[in-house]
Amino acid sequence: MPRPRSLMNAVLVFGDVAVPVKLHSATTSKDVRFNEVHLTDGAKIEHRRFCSEEDKEVPYAEVAMGYEIAEGKYAVLTKDQLAAATPHSDKTITVEEFVPADEIDPVFYDRGYYLGAAADGEAGYRLLHDALARTSRAGIAHFVFHDRERLAALRPHDGILLLHTLRFADELARLDELAPDDAGRAPTPKEVKMAEQLVESLHVDFDPGDYRDEHRAAVMKLIEAKAAGEEIQVPQVQEPEVADDLAAALQASLEAREHSARRRRGTAPKRQPAKRRG
Amino acid sequence: MPRAIWSGSLSFGLVNVPVQLVSAVRDRDVHFRQLHEKDGAPIETRRFCAKEDAEVSFEEIGRGFETDNGKQVILTDEELAAAAPRKSRTIDIEAFVDADDLDPLLLDHPYVLLPAGETDGVRRAYRLLADVLAGNDRLALGRFVLRAKEHLVAIGVRDGLLSLTTMRFPDEVRPAKDVDGSSRKKPTPAALKATVEVIEALSTDWDPARYEDQHRRRLLAAVKQAERTAEVPEEREERTPTAPADLMDTLKRSLSEAREKQKAGR
Repeated sequence: MPRPRSLMNAVLVFGDVAVPVKLHSATTSKDVRFNEVHLTDGAKIEHRRFCSEEDKEVPYAEVAMGYEIAEGKYAVLTKDQLAAATPHSDKTITVEEFVPADEIDPVFYDRGYYLGAAADGEAGYRLLHDALARTSRAGIAHFVFHDRERLAALRPHDGILLLHTLRFADELARLDELAPDDAGRAPTPKEVKMAEQLVESLHVDFDPGDYRDEHRAAVMKLIEAKAAGEEIQVPQVQEPEVADDLAAALQASLEAREHSARRRRGTAPKRQPAKRRG
Repeated sequence: MPRAIWSGSLSFGLVNVPVQLVSAVRDRDVHFRQLHEKDGAPIETRRFCAKEDAEVSFEEIGRGFETDNGKQVILTDEELAAAAPRKSRTIDIEAFVDADDLDPLLLDHPYVLLPAGETDGVRRAYRLLADVLAGNDRLALGRFVLRAKEHLVAIGVRDGLLSLTTMRFPDEVRPAKDVDGSSRKKPTPAALKATVEVIEALSTDWDPARYEDQHRRRLLAAVKQAERTAEVPEEREERTPTAPADLMDTLKRSLSEAREKQKAGR
């Protein structure tokens, strides 16, 4: 894999210490990318702006931004006004405080970035890294990125500093408002025990190498088939059945696991993750 | 209640639970709509065929893929669905893993799974899986297809509800070793001790409610101002910190400042 391109050269500040760093994306999308095309002639689809009142195309220069304050009623900002409300990046990642790293629920993590040490910053970088590891703390920082202020958590990770942008608390759905009024009858101890056995039989050590995007490969196969002029069959899907008898379904699941485990033991020396049953 | 973005079946062994998927994140962003400046009418986006220069309806739009030799292959959404016929309706639990073994970089978007159906059978099967997952620090791993993309998902339990987090595939996480890390030179014990002290002095409990989205606040303020006047808000001053000449000195200064702050009872 090529060395990830730096997204931003920044200065990481904690207390009065400033450490020059580079921000890199920690993830990359490997989705198969498609363009919108016209089915009849394969030509590109263009998105054009139209005034809904005049039914005429509008150049971008004539576009203003509207914030809906009541239905159909907008507070209007020009693009310049909106730009003025957009923070200017001072390329500074300011650590405001430190918190115990394991107190941050991963549900707050938005996007992950790596911080790399920039020239002259190595000593300070290493110091912060080692001190965070020593104290099991995460730095909570503010910085401006992609035209907005972000909250971020900074942690040591595999010898480098990992930065996660954070969601704000009020962005998380209130789960108590989502819970069904009636949780249903409690499962019987026997059902719980069988379900626990099933969980146990499907337990594996997580090995990232075991998880590949099979769909990505299947889509590429489809593309190749279509390119070769083959007809794509669109299969019918059967809806799964909902079992009335929970205990019987659990019992049958356990027996199926037993059976496949016994069969596997004979052939495979190493424990493999469970294969999907389709 | 937030809108369900997917509904289908959660399959655990031979137990199938009908479920609905809702986002665990509420969109609190300040959204603007494009308007025609002249008359204030909303702008509509219309799709045009670049060749014919004519408007095209949704039904006439396909997905084009350009192969390495420059040839274009076109698939309809129906054909694309043929890549994973079952997985678009069912989340199959493949395995259970220890929650601690999952690198947080693999986590993408959090959702909540809700039981779909009022019957006792549905509610009880849902509750059984939630109870069992709550009892240990395990997550269920599965796969399903959402909007023509397969997702690896981790299913756990939060506040008695099944939570589902879409994951990136491990080959979508860049290796940390590709990044220039710290110097190989170990910091001196004195410098490390001073840094640890600065961290301790600036430490507090994690309280997410204390942080406010400044971007949202600022945009809403700009909206308010636009309602009142046509004045343009002033720009903020820029600040560029520089790397300190003497790290040890700076650490000492940081520490005394942090302690002052602490004493002042922040």
